[in-house]
Amino acid sequence: MRIRDFRQSYEQDEAIWQTPTSRLWLAGLLVLLALFPAFANGYIVGLACILGIHVIASAGLNIMTGYTGLISLGHAAFMGVGCYTAAFLAQYGVPFYLTIPIAGLVAALLGLVVGIPSLRIKGLYLAVATLAMQFILVFIFREWEPVTGGVRGVNVPNARLFGFELNNDTRMYYAIAFCAIVLLIAARNLFRTRIGRAFIAIRDKDISAEVLGIDLFRYKLLAFAIGSFYAGVAGALLGFFYRAMTPEYFTLTLSIFYLAAIIVGGLGTMLGTILGAFFMTLVPELLRALVSLIALWAPRAIEILSPMQEMVFGVLIIGFLVFEPHGLVEIWRRVRRYFHLWPFRA
Amino acid sequence: MNNSPLNPTRRRVLGAGLGVAGLAAGLPIMPAIAQTGEIVFGAAPPITGVFAFAGLALHQGLGDYCEWRNTKGGIAGHKIKYIGEDSGYKMDQAMSVFKKIMGAHKPPVFYGDSTAWAKAAAKEISQMGSVLTSSPSFASDLVDPKNAPYYFMPGPTYTAMCVMLLEYISRTSRGAAKPAVALVYSDTEFGRDPIAATKLKAQALGIPIVQEIVTKPGSVDVSAEVAKLRRAKPDYVIFHGYVLAPIPEFIKQMREAGMSITPMGTIWSMDKTTVDAMGAAAEGWMGVMPYRYSYDTKDAPTMQAIKAYAAKARPQMQYVPTFYTTGWLVGMIFSEVIERCLKAGKSLNGPNMKAALESINDWDTGGVTGLLASLKGHQIASGRIYMYDTKSKLLEPASGWIRTA
Repeated sequence: MRIRDFRQSYEQDEAIWQTPTSRLWLAGLLVLLALFPAFANGYIVGLACILGIHVIASAGLNIMTGYTGLISLGHAAFMGVGCYTAAFLAQYGVPFYLTIPIAGLVAALLGLVVGIPSLRIKGLYLAVATLAMQFILVFIFREWEPVTGGVRGVNVPNARLFGFELNNDTRMYYAIAFCAIVLLIAARNLFRTRIGRAFIAIRDKDISAEVLGIDLFRYKLLAFAIGSFYAGVAGALLGFFYRAMTPEYFTLTLSIFYLAAIIVGGLGTMLGTILGAFFMTLVPELLRALVSLIALWAPRAIEILSPMQEMVFGVLIIGFLVFEPHGLVEIWRRVRRYFHLWPFRA
Repeated sequence: MNNSPLNPTRRRVLGAGLGVAGLAAGLPIMPAIAQTGEIVFGAAPPITGVFAFAGLALHQGLGDYCEWRNTKGGIAGHKIKYIGEDSGYKMDQAMSVFKKIMGAHKPPVFYGDSTAWAKAAAKEISQMGSVLTSSPSFASDLVDPKNAPYYFMPGPTYTAMCVMLLEYISRTSRGAAKPAVALVYSDTEFGRDPIAATKLKAQALGIPIVQEIVTKPGSVDVSAEVAKLRRAKPDYVIFHGYVLAPIPEFIKQMREAGMSITPMGTIWSMDKTTVDAMGAAAEGWMGVMPYRYSYDTKDAPTMQAIKAYAAKARPQMQYVPTFYTTGWLVGMIFSEVIERCLKAGKSLNGPNMKAALESINDWDTGGVTGLLASLKGHQIASGRIYMYDTKSKLLEPASGWIRTA
């Protein structure tokens, strides 16, 4: 049961980590994250890197879609902008610690441009506008050969940080984990500020928000810029992680992947973002691992079971949406509530 | 309370579940090759996804080759263990499978799934210096022994395939003027790959490229493009960057427009199953194929072995696709490289395997390739032009075997 949780001020009520227990859990999590590569093999560390990148990108989309109500189908393209910016800057020797924020800023600037129609259109219409941007940007990735390498793609030099070459997954893991933690904390804090509350007000009812004095144009643009910044950073990290990239990576399918991640995880919550990214990344991985396990005894089973993984994954997504429309975060909240009140009934 | 380990308490069930999940996720490190005496072949074939039409057969071909080879004693007495996991033709997934299999089994050879994978993994592979790789991609820039030293192609590049088509056109042309050629290709990395080099080769051979059309990979409405082709009046239309659609639609509309053209294609639109699916449009279809078809077994012991093994191991397989043959050939090359290293008493590392690969010259593939194969340049740059016979529903040779520079 949760005890010693008595809040006497607004600041206490708004604190991110409200109890000593939650602070302890957080410290434990940070230690675990720091020690993780020491216990995991290369495959798991590589998977954690991809997961971290997906978490950052999903967080950006959740800021736009989950918190502000601006549907975007062009998130993958903004990742592409970040990736190509990073590749371009890295070739000219710009340090890694500058490349990452600059890649985010370039994506954010483009996000501002895409955000302009959001004052006039919303819902499905805005989704179509962002979809158009997805296609335009992918076209640019394919055609602007001097910068993007065209359809053949681009090689990204190894990242270097304070003399260390980030030339393996373990080193990249720490860079990605650091960025993910900083950006998640920043996003969590954002919604304790006037800007974050304005985003939520716009999502809930934009006309009412305007009546309350919120400048819709400014805040909608800001939401697009921040969301795109996250995508840009994720894209830059992706480029440094794979060290090569082709435009075929940044497809509409990837944009939908992120949309699915925040819907399955829970719209408008940072924890939902993390859970959604975990679900979308790890469930197919676990299903495949299960197939491989079966293949140890029946090698040809892989030929039949592999196509079935996609089906099972689809059914799982539908199942979650039907039985828990508020996302995985709601399941987490229920579990938490149970332990907060235990041994009494929730 | 019963504390027997067999008592399924919630905690035990949870613990067991986590244990299985951990095991399934690849947390435990599998025994190394040396301990088991087995040589592991790793692979991430695209069994699902858009490339599944070929990916499954590639996986079956490579896996079956390993089984067949084991019945013949393996490689220098070592049994082969084939470990393949579906890549779904997704780069993240292919990289993940690659890292997983490399981490758990440390195979000396690995077969990937695409150009994107080959490019993304290239630096890591060079850095590791312990694995020789290949993939179903025939993209020209992957054959780069300097920058991608541990990668090879079990056939010619797309550029080399187009060059063979042009050489065939040039050799078979009659009269002073060379036939006019149109290029139709998809707006993808795959489609665009050989175009610049093909145009240069055409210029060198004096073949006029009268039209160049770029379409989406699965275009449906091609009437505007056909109108352009009609005005350009080509004798040959080379399609590249497609598997099937929109090729049949192009051919159908060109014939309806009264055009007398010879349609041609490259490897992925040359399997018998693909050409059969073109229906009436397949009449007169030509193209380049680096390997023999599975029904062409005369004086080709490996093709006979492939046919016999597939009939025994996969009785439901009515026709052995060329993708299966490709997978089999990849297995042969991997084995040849490993065997050469082991016979020379060298360890299976990148530089030794690269040297062994480059030492393969005038190598008899048992008829899979029509000419003796050389992998000095990290590709087998030979092939033959075939033509579809609508009566026999077979692709019949239209030329001898061609080797490109």
